[in-house]
Amino acid sequence: MSVNRRVRQFFFPSLTPRFLIRVFLVSLFAYLFFNYLCIPFRIQGTSMEPTYPDRGVNFCWRLRYLFSEPKRHDVVAVRFAGSKIMLLKRVVAREGEQVEFRGGRLFVDGQEIEEPYVRLPCHWNLPSRRVEEDCVYVVGDNRNMPIEDHHFGQTSKIRIMGGPLW
Amino acid sequence: MVKMKYLLTGVLIVIIGVVLAVTLFPSEEKRVKKRFRLLSEWVSKSPEENAFTLLQKMKDIGALFSEPCELKAPDESLSGSYTRQEISAFAGGARSHFSRLDLTFHDLHIVFPEGEVAKVTLTARLIGRSTTGEQADEIRELECLLKKIDSKWLFNQIEVVQVLKK
Repeated sequence: MSVNRRVRQFFFPSLTPRFLIRVFLVSLFAYLFFNYLCIPFRIQGTSMEPTYPDRGVNFCWRLRYLFSEPKRHDVVAVRFAGSKIMLLKRVVAREGEQVEFRGGRLFVDGQEIEEPYVRLPCHWNLPSRRVEEDCVYVVGDNRNMPIEDHHFGQTSKIRIMGGPLW
Repeated sequence: MVKMKYLLTGVLIVIIGVVLAVTLFPSEEKRVKKRFRLLSEWVSKSPEENAFTLLQKMKDIGALFSEPCELKAPDESLSGSYTRQEISAFAGGARSHFSRLDLTFHDLHIVFPEGEVAKVTLTARLIGRSTTGEQADEIRELECLLKKIDSKWLFNQIEVVQVLKK
């Protein structure tokens, strides 16, 4: 087969049954993969800056917590009613732990937690509270805003859809 | 060849019939979805909106709710039973703070626990620009109950689901 013919065949393939079956299978695989396993999303907002900047693109890997539980410092996608809109947050405490903020520093069970990913100034104060059963406590990396303006808190583990691919 | 012609005509007639049936006799699920589409359309606001449209929309919004309608949004200081007039007035008051407003609904899960009752879980997103130029972007998970009254689906109860608990 000449190069010219190969190029033509690549861009304008013959609509043979075999080719159509291949197109159908690839489309089906892509649909299932990108709808249920690796969901593409666009970041809107500055809640996870500087780790995940506004308007960044990523994928939510749904199998991240198939055989494990979310750990402290993991970045997770928290769903609302479905997967169309999710929150990207970092797990800072797990069930049964006491979490609090003092002068912008995070304390879990009374111990200060190092958070190298928090690079912007933070002055939050939040009284100690216990994370309920089957829940995790999630916060964004950008805490350079009044505590009332930041969406964070305890959420049920069943709301965790997975984690970003990178 | 003649048989093939009849077969194709038959298939075409069946397809047209199905399309007509779906369009002319929408399912209850589609009727419920339409109520959300109308609510979204009437709450949304463009900078060019005139006073006549504003009044019409406020009246239309009230007509989507049952009398009374229960709202459960403790974080927004909105809990209790409200009449249509109160809901219209509240919506009008809230809209007046914005020069542009866009309400969208995502991930609608509709179930019919009883014949004349629809339970809908969804994500609502409100994006807007206030009259002072501030940008607003609020997301809530809602659980709505709609009742079929006089062959119209009306919002009977709206509850804000707490996704993150500080």
